[in-house]
Amino acid sequence: MLDAKHIQYYIGNRPIVNRATIQVLPGELTAILGPNGAGKSTLFRLLSGELSCKQGLITYNGQPLKGMKTRQLASLRAVMPQHSTLTFPFQAMEVVSLGLMYCRPNDPKMILKEVMSATQTWQLKDQLYGNLSGGEKQRVQLARVLAQIWEIKATPRYLLLDEPTSSMDIAQQHHIMQIIQQLKTRNIGILAILHDLNLAANYADKVLLLKQGKVLHQGAVRTVMTPENLQGVFDYPLSVQSNGPGAPIYISSLPSSATSSKNYTYKLA
Amino acid sequence: MIQNLSYSKTAQHSLVLAALGIGLVLLGLLSITIGAFPIPFGHAVSILLSQVGIDSGTFTEQEANVLWQIRLPRIVLAILVGGGLGVSGAALQGLFRNPLVEPGLIGVSSGGALFAVIFIVFGSSFPWLGSVFGSFSLPLVAFIGGLINVMLVYKMANQRGKTDISLLILAGVALTALSGALIGLAIFYADEAALRNFTFWSLGDVGGANWDKVKIAFILILFPSLLIINQFRNLNALAIGENEAFHMGVDVQRVKYIVLFMGALVVGVGVSMTGTIGFVGLIVPHLLRLSFGADHRLVLPGAFLLGAFLLNGADLLARTVVMPAELPIGIITAILGSPFFIWLILHVKKLNS
Repeated sequence: MLDAKHIQYYIGNRPIVNRATIQVLPGELTAILGPNGAGKSTLFRLLSGELSCKQGLITYNGQPLKGMKTRQLASLRAVMPQHSTLTFPFQAMEVVSLGLMYCRPNDPKMILKEVMSATQTWQLKDQLYGNLSGGEKQRVQLARVLAQIWEIKATPRYLLLDEPTSSMDIAQQHHIMQIIQQLKTRNIGILAILHDLNLAANYADKVLLLKQGKVLHQGAVRTVMTPENLQGVFDYPLSVQSNGPGAPIYISSLPSSATSSKNYTYKLA
Repeated sequence: MIQNLSYSKTAQHSLVLAALGIGLVLLGLLSITIGAFPIPFGHAVSILLSQVGIDSGTFTEQEANVLWQIRLPRIVLAILVGGGLGVSGAALQGLFRNPLVEPGLIGVSSGGALFAVIFIVFGSSFPWLGSVFGSFSLPLVAFIGGLINVMLVYKMANQRGKTDISLLILAGVALTALSGALIGLAIFYADEAALRNFTFWSLGDVGGANWDKVKIAFILILFPSLLIINQFRNLNALAIGENEAFHMGVDVQRVKYIVLFMGALVVGVGVSMTGTIGFVGLIVPHLLRLSFGADHRLVLPGAFLLGAFLLNGADLLARTVVMPAELPIGIITAILGSPFFIWLILHVKKLNS
C-alpha cells in the first residue's frame, strides 16, 4: 500500500498541501481531482519522492519513503510527469528502454515489445522522438514508465500519472485508461491526476477531491462524486447522471447563464 | 525483430568505435613521419619496433631522438587532451541538457587558465604547494579554477531543474571576461621571471610536450575520462529530464558531481598543459550525434576518440602549414570551430524538434 498520513507542504507560510491523508491500494485506480492550484501537482511530487515533506509520513508497502534509496524507490514506483522534453535525437525505442535501466528484468526485449504494443508505439520504435506528435510522445513516455514496473512480481508496485491523457484525442484517452485498467491485474496500484471528470468517474475505483491543499472528500466514485461535492470543490454547478449502479456516469456542466436559473436540478439516479 | 534491432545497434556502436580507433592510429602513424624533420615511414615503424626489442630495419639515431623525444610525446599528449576535451564536452552537454555547451564557452577553460596564471605568477609565494604536489601542482591548481567556474555557471543557469540557455551562455561570457581581466591583473603584478614563464606557458601548445607531461595527463585525464564514460546510462536518463531520471532510479546529484568534477579536472589539466583550446568539445559530440544518434553509450567513448583524432589533425596542420614555424593549435580549432558554432546557433532549434 502507498500510504500518506497527514502530509503537509508549505511555501513560505502558505500551505500548498494541508494535512492530506491518502491510501493507494494495489489493484485500484485512485484519481485525484481538483481545480487549478488545488495542490494536485505538489501532492503528486511529494508522493513520488521528488519533494520531501516536513510533516507527515509517506510509506511504500510499509517502508518510509524518507531514507529509501533512489534505486529501491524506482523498483517500487514509476512516475509519468505531465511534460517531458528531450534535448537530443533519441529514437522512440531508446526512450522506452531507458525505463528498464535499473530494473534488470529477465527478458528486457519481451517487456519492451509488450509495453510498446500496449501503448501502440511499436510501429514508431525507429522514429526520432522529436519528430512525433504530442499524443505519440505521451504514449512513448507512458511506455517508458510502464516498462519500469511491467514485469510481474509479488511485491505491490505503484504507478503515478500526472494527467496522462492531456494531449490525446478521445479514442486514445479511452485506450490509455484501458491499459491502466489492465495494470491492476499486475498487482499495481495507480494514482492519477485527471482533468476529465467523466474519465475519472467511469474508470477510477476511488476518487479524491482536493481543494486549497486539503482533501475534502475521498472514497468510492459514487459516494464522492455527488453534484454537491463537485460544486463545492470546483465552484461551478455540475450535474451527475447515471441510470443505476452498474451504468455509466455522466457529468456535465452548462454555460453559467443557463445554470443561474434556480430551477436547475441535479439528478443522481 | 527486436533482437535484430538491438543487435544491429550494438554492432553499429562497436563498428563506429573500431573505425574511429583505427583512424586515430593511422593518423598517429602519419603524424610521426610528417614534420620539419621528415622520418620515412619504414624507419618510424622500425624505431617503434626497436623499443619493444624487435630489430627490423635501419634508422639514424637522430631520427630515433626526434621521434621518441619530440614527436611521440606530442602526439600522445594531443590524443589525451583532445580526447579529454571531447568527452568532457559531450558529458557537460548531456548534463546541462544543451548542445551549445562547451568547456571553453561556459568558462571552465578560462577558470583553469586564470588559476594556472595565478600559480605561474605567484606560485613562488607558496613553496609548500610545489613541494607537496611537485609537477602535479600546476594541473591541479588549474583544475580548481575550472571547477569554481563550472559550479558558478551551473548554479546561475540551473533553476528548478531546467537550464536556461541564455543565462548559461551569458554567465559563461561574464566569467570568461572576468577571468581574462584577472589574468591581465595577475600579469600586471608579475615580475620578470614570472612573465617569462607565463609567456612560455601561454604559447605552449602541444609543442611543449614531454614524457613527464604525458605521464601527468595519463593519470589526470585518462582516468577521469573513463569515469565520465562510465556515466553513459545516467546521462541517457538525464536527457529526458532531471526529475524523470530520478524517477527511474538515477542518483542525479551524484551524476552531477561526477561529471562537473571530472569534467573540470580533465579540462583544467588540459588547459594547464596546452593553453586554452576551444571548440573541440563542441564539434565532436555534435558530429557523433548527427551521424549515429544520441545514445551516450556511443557518444561518450566516441567523443574521446574523435576529439583525439581532431586535435591530432589540427596539430598536424598547425605544424605543417607554415613549416618550419608552427601555428598555435588553438588558432586552427577556432578557425574550424567558430563557423560551426554559428551554424549550430542557427540550427539548434531545428535539431531539437
